[in-house]
Amino acid sequence: MTLQKSNRSTPLSCAEFQEKLPDLFAAGANGHIEDPALLDHLSTCENCSALVRDLQYIADQARQLLQPTHEPSDDVWKKIQESLAADPSYAEPNEK
Amino acid sequence: MDVQGQQMTEPKTAPGLFKRNPPIAGEAEAIERAKAGDAEAFSKLYALHKRRVYTLCLRMLGNVSEAEDMTQEAFLHLFRKIGSFRGESAFSTWLHRLTVNLVLMHLRKKGLQLVSLEETINPSEEDSPKRDFGSRDTQLAGSVDRVALERAVASLPPGYRMVFVLHDVEGFEHNEIAVMLECSTGNSKSQLHKARLKLRELLRQAESTPQDNLKEAAL
Ligand SMILES: [Zn+2]
Repeated sequence: MTLQKSNRSTPLSCAEFQEKLPDLFAAGANGHIEDPALLDHLSTCENCSALVRDLQYIADQARQLLQPTHEPSDDVWKKIQESLAADPSYAEPNEK
Repeated sequence: MDVQGQQMTEPKTAPGLFKRNPPIAGEAEAIERAKAGDAEAFSKLYALHKRRVYTLCLRMLGNVSEAEDMTQEAFLHLFRKIGSFRGESAFSTWLHRLTVNLVLMHLRKKGLQLVSLEETINPSEEDSPKRDFGSRDTQLAGSVDRVALERAVASLPPGYRMVFVLHDVEGFEHNEIAVMLECSTGNSKSQLHKARLKLRELLRQAESTPQDNLKEAAL
């Protein structure tokens, strides 16, 4: 150890950088990075910047999946109707 | 300096669920009529929401007959409880939360212990995504279509898929997911990260063999 205060001076390794990613992405900014040490690594490491880009891309693309692609068979509604007909208590105004 | 990610800084707030689930035309009236027991209103609400509820069930459960059963359960539950919908969240958010809870209850009954997520639905080491310390590769961005993504999500291990679907697709927050899955928020975060890493791996694999996929699809 030198006398130098070294929390910034030692460049992060890829492993150290990637360890921070779950929290970075969870912080709500979807990988938007402000920490200078991390930015430093990101700007010099092609591999990690590709990783961050891909993870952002995946999270972003996931929203497309909210649009549904599948449809239940007609049987489902038939069964629901049968149950509704059999039980008059559905949506009784007084029910809590 | 153009650091990737600057373009995606939209803050993710809880009311964001309203934004993601904007009210649908005719929905509010149908809800009010359904509260009074109007059968036609039930039918309208079912028609409006059946695809999304079913797709959610299908993604969580991975099989058609269970997904149909749970869709039925979810709507019956909805019609029974609709009187307690107060409009504090988007209706679809409320309905989806109800659906998620029913599906999870169903899975617990089947003996899938969601409680200790780490132990039971965390896949074994060889299944988990490889750390990516060194390899240089082409980027995914721009190259993945919806079908490829859907297929990759379907092939995720169940524990990863659950958290990914709840967070990235449905838009639930980690603290909500932690309550639903009875795990810690830290656990939810790390599962999500692992899920995305695994997806990246799956999507890259799919990309590296596009010809084979095309052939398969053509046959
Ligand atoms: Zn790196």
